[in-house]
Amino acid sequence: MMLARVADSLYWTGRYLERAEHLSRLSDVMLNATLDQSDSGLQAARIALAALGDEEGSKTASPYEAARGLVLNRDDPNSVVSSLARARENARQVRDQITTETWERLNMLYLRMTSGEAERAFESGSSAFLHEVIADLHTFKGAADATMSHGEGWRFLMLGAHLERAQLIARLLEVGFGEARTVQATDRIALMSLLRMACALEPYLRAYTAEIEPRHILEFLLFSEDFPRSIRFTTTQMELHLSKVARHMESAASGGHPERVAGRLKARLEFADIEELEAVGASGLLAQVVNECGRIHQAIYDTFVAYPLELRLPA
Amino acid sequence: MSPVTKQSEIDAPPVLPMTQAAYLPGAAYDEMFADGGEVRDHYAHLHTRMSRLSTEELGGRQQTQERSFLLQGITFTVYGADSATERIIPTDLFPRILPAQEWAQIEAGLTQRLRALNMFLADIYGDQKILMDGIVPRELVLSAPSYRREMQHLFVPHKAYANVCGSDLIRGQDGQFAVLEDNLRVPSGVSYMLANRDAAKRTFPGAYRAAGVRPVERYPDLLLSTLKSMAADWRPNPQVVVLTPGVYNSAYYEHAYLARLMGVPLVEGRDLVVHDNTVYMRTTAGLRRIDVIYRRVDDDFIDPLTFRRDSSLGVAGLFNAYRAGSVVICNAPGTGVADDKAVYAYVPDIIRYYLGEDAILPNIETFLCREPAQLSHVLDNLDKLVVKAVGASGGYGMLIGPHASAKERAEFADAIKADPENYIAQPTIQLSTAPCLVDGRIEPRHVDLRPFILSGEKIVVTPGALTRVALKRGSLVVNSSQGGGSKDTWVLADEASGSVQP
Repeated sequence: MMLARVADSLYWTGRYLERAEHLSRLSDVMLNATLDQSDSGLQAARIALAALGDEEGSKTASPYEAARGLVLNRDDPNSVVSSLARARENARQVRDQITTETWERLNMLYLRMTSGEAERAFESGSSAFLHEVIADLHTFKGAADATMSHGEGWRFLMLGAHLERAQLIARLLEVGFGEARTVQATDRIALMSLLRMACALEPYLRAYTAEIEPRHILEFLLFSEDFPRSIRFTTTQMELHLSKVARHMESAASGGHPERVAGRLKARLEFADIEELEAVGASGLLAQVVNECGRIHQAIYDTFVAYPLELRLPA
Repeated sequence: MSPVTKQSEIDAPPVLPMTQAAYLPGAAYDEMFADGGEVRDHYAHLHTRMSRLSTEELGGRQQTQERSFLLQGITFTVYGADSATERIIPTDLFPRILPAQEWAQIEAGLTQRLRALNMFLADIYGDQKILMDGIVPRELVLSAPSYRREMQHLFVPHKAYANVCGSDLIRGQDGQFAVLEDNLRVPSGVSYMLANRDAAKRTFPGAYRAAGVRPVERYPDLLLSTLKSMAADWRPNPQVVVLTPGVYNSAYYEHAYLARLMGVPLVEGRDLVVHDNTVYMRTTAGLRRIDVIYRRVDDDFIDPLTFRRDSSLGVAGLFNAYRAGSVVICNAPGTGVADDKAVYAYVPDIIRYYLGEDAILPNIETFLCREPAQLSHVLDNLDKLVVKAVGASGGYGMLIGPHASAKERAEFADAIKADPENYIAQPTIQLSTAPCLVDGRIEPRHVDLRPFILSGEKIVVTPGALTRVALKRGSLVVNSSQGGGSKDTWVLADEASGSVQP
């Protein structure tokens, strides 16, 4: 049992931090890939920009400028610094629910990103800078895991992170392999970059060796049971956290039953296989994932956060 | 505590760095040095330690401490043109030390004072005997904006109206403590007392251990039991919450800090609903009933149906639930009337009226401009007096005569003549000074003392306080909104008792 507003803030803290991490990684991989003046580098940059919603890749002059804006532009609500500011603002609202160890990680990262030093550090070495941001975000998760009670509050934090992750990976796969795409990712270097964007290159190599093929990548990032960034894994986590949280619900309370929505999606991913996917096309399944995530989000709100008071008043 | 280590530390050859030579106490009472220039006994350990540290080491420790405050988020936010920056409230490295016998007098004085003020509140919201007997002028109380008619004849458990009180004490030139102000509304600063203590233990561990300091760490659990003692008897496991105006309030850090250390939910007005005169909070598992609200929201804003209608910080219907007895609000609404700057002048009379005792802690001599004779005295002596607006706080609406220009005094005189009831005046007190680290040098700065008193079933004074510091040289204004800082306060245990009692 916890305050509805608090659950909401923790959920969004998880989402914003996951977004910040993903954006940092995308920027880093993109900058790295475009160091080579080759077509594959440009293909990687196109995938990254498309995954961020910039379909033509034409809004910005160079990948460097794009990445810089993506990381440091405070006027862009979707930049890394804005996501961190929002995560930190949400965490501050529920400061009493987060252990000091966890809070200090996030606060330190926020203070560093918003100080005047950040611009200079990015210019003098974007790769080192972004690596540090990602490492700090990992430390935050580690501190949360090691010091917070794994109760309801922690579960809402995790729920936000996994829901956001599922959506981001689905989007990344869609721009890489969607049937409607004019240019699909085919080039080996570009495919490796795509795996890096999902932080999946090393685990992928261990599973499939150095044979890098679109169908294996799809299979790995959609259906892997163990890889923490596969959509099946994140869905399983969502279902787990939701069913634990829903245990505290009064039986009379109605709601969207988010744990059932997540459970259905989990089952779909568990029993699907790559042959079937190839028959119907990846786009359909990926669109379904994004839609179901939206439904889970709505159901979480209807059930735990913004439920109608009339149904819960004592008789 | 341990005489062995103490002796050896004192016997060590005194090393006086340059910082020491620069320390020149002024006319005011100095907390560390007696008039002859010798170090007061209770400062001996700290003085030894301070003398051995170089200026660089001290500066380094100060930096470490400030960084730790920033990281923990013990900050207030300054909103600029396009961005918000976070500043820490300046904290000074050196603790201020109070010996056991001085504290004993403060403790007795504060307990007596709060007992009398709670009885005063119960009386003026009840039968009003003190007004009938003419001890305190009727119109002074009943026309004060902080007097809440809505509180008339309401039941308050244990007659404890002001559950959390933070009084401001000052030490004058004669070395005696006096009460400058009572804070019975929503006093803040207790989180700084606790955070400063944490920092001081890390900065001067040896001196801390040797001095035998009484711990303040029990404050959160004493606060929780005080709040629980206010709940109705038939609610065996009362649900306590802290009500905050939200994250933009300058004391938000403190609200979250207390909620975290008490282990109770930190709620905002929008988390609460009132149904059938019962207060609930919205949780993920439905509505949960609330028994005690430690509110950090001013009277005016707690309930738009009863008080200010434009408030969005409060809960509609909260006051009716309170009136019905299903929830307790701490502090009770309407306590502000007893810390009103004009009522303050009558507190010694109030103590005598209810308790038949003389005040242990004296007041500062106060002139009420509402009385014609005192008004003319005030206007004739504006260059010597401090004049304060009755309704204002936080160091605003104040004239410090000796430091003001002739023009400022003339303007203030007009304001006083236009509305004499709104002003009081007090002689300028040279607050005592304590050593502070300012720009790498140890210099005397004026300080006050804010101890925290809890009252529920019984009255408890926490053996510690927030010492506020006027960081500008010569300044007497310690409010944090006016460039003040703070430092830790060590209350020493009675050596005779042999052990450190909390």
